[in-house]
Amino acid sequence: MPPFFSSSFLRNALVGALATGLSACELVEFSPNDHRARADQKDLTAKNLAHLTAAPLSPGDTLRFVFAGDSQRFYDDAQDLVRSVNQQPGIQFMLISGDISDFGLGREMRWIDNELRKMKVPYLTVIGNHDHVANGREAYQEIFGPLNYSFVYADTKFVLIDTNSREYNFNGRVPDVPWLRGQLADLNGASRSVVISHVPPQDGDFDPNLRDAYAGTLRETSSLVFEMNGHRHDYGVGQPFNDGVTYVNSYAFEKRKYLIVTVFGDKQFRIKQVSF
Amino acid sequence: MAPTLLLAALLASPPTAPTISGPTIASDSVVTAVVPAAPGLALPARPGVARYQPRHLLLQTGGGVGMLSVGGGLSFARRRLDLDALLGYVPARHAGTALTIASAKVKYAPWQLPLGGSGLAFTPLAVGVYGSYTFGLRNTGEEGQYPDDYYWWSRTMRVGPLLGSSLSYTLPDAPSGRARRLTAYYELATNDLYGLSYYLNRRALSLSDIATLALGLKLEI
Repeated sequence: MPPFFSSSFLRNALVGALATGLSACELVEFSPNDHRARADQKDLTAKNLAHLTAAPLSPGDTLRFVFAGDSQRFYDDAQDLVRSVNQQPGIQFMLISGDISDFGLGREMRWIDNELRKMKVPYLTVIGNHDHVANGREAYQEIFGPLNYSFVYADTKFVLIDTNSREYNFNGRVPDVPWLRGQLADLNGASRSVVISHVPPQDGDFDPNLRDAYAGTLRETSSLVFEMNGHRHDYGVGQPFNDGVTYVNSYAFEKRKYLIVTVFGDKQFRIKQVSF
Repeated sequence: MAPTLLLAALLASPPTAPTISGPTIASDSVVTAVVPAAPGLALPARPGVARYQPRHLLLQTGGGVGMLSVGGGLSFARRRLDLDALLGYVPARHAGTALTIASAKVKYAPWQLPLGGSGLAFTPLAVGVYGSYTFGLRNTGEEGQYPDDYYWWSRTMRVGPLLGSSLSYTLPDAPSGRARRLTAYYELATNDLYGLSYYLNRRALSLSDIATLALGLKLEI
């Protein structure tokens, strides 16, 4: 009886869709570029920062965080990464070096959050080039928050900055070097600094006219532990400008590896690779 | 069956002018030529041109093609096959910029079940495909912005499958004698990018994650 089969199939499909907690509001999508989200999936940067700063590092504890990047379209891998990170003792948060989404769509950002919110520690993101595609920039701002921001944790100022110059067609204003300079000039009481961005300055997607100013700013920052990037999907640590500034690149989720970064002392660090 | 009927309908009614045999008729005279209808088709005997006027109007929300979409469409194959075109709008507060979305869909509904003598009829299943083009997106790439194939997918065009069902209420016939109905429908759909994400991540994503819902009204005229 095809009609009855069809209607029960439809009923199951509908019940299934509703049972997973999708509100009708999200289901009635106006466009894939529609960035509406549930209240608890908006302003995630501010929410995760509040979560992080609510549990400050006790004196004597070591700053230790997970560094990963480019979660784009790797949701199964994200699930496994969360399971692995949840077994790591002594970590305080996770940093994701951009490309949260693949196609710049709000729903993709929410899918990644659906996995990462299951972590025991909060996570913080910086925007990647894929998050800028179409109306992704607005979706990122709605779901995560500002494109440039900073926070202080464990005597360290973390500065997260949009370096996706190509997405602005190299307009000469991205990255915002004066903003970066201001952030690094005043560490809000911290003694160390870390800069995180998606596109590394030596990459072709970084504005060539701002490369020297950006790298120069980092070189002049004596408190800088290192600069951290994603975009290249593979681990790398080195000094591409041979100027004493260390750049660390994260694994993409699809590589099924992440880094555990420990920062101690003046600005010493240790990086451990974990496979999952 | 459906493609055959569609073809028959198209053959029976050339889009340019009705098939007229016999003496030449002045262009301003009333054309009453009989179009040979395909067997089994309950098409009214009217000039072919008329068949390409919209046979129904649509008002819809969601489905990835607008917060509010309006459109019209044609029906073929005893109104089992619909060909619809919609123009949708999404205000900037929901998408960053104001979007205009042009979409087209083909829907096939094989069964219509009258519900007693109530004038209501239930269409348990419609399946189809749609395609859309979005105007007004902020960053779709300017000339020279990206190297070739930097992003492989289209930011403006989406395609996807849909399925749904509907409930129709019979209205008084149109002056032309055509039966008219007001139909409320829903459609569950997805798009190529969501579909790909699901295909590659069937553990983390479920069909409900990638589903969109459209709710609409269709008025036959």
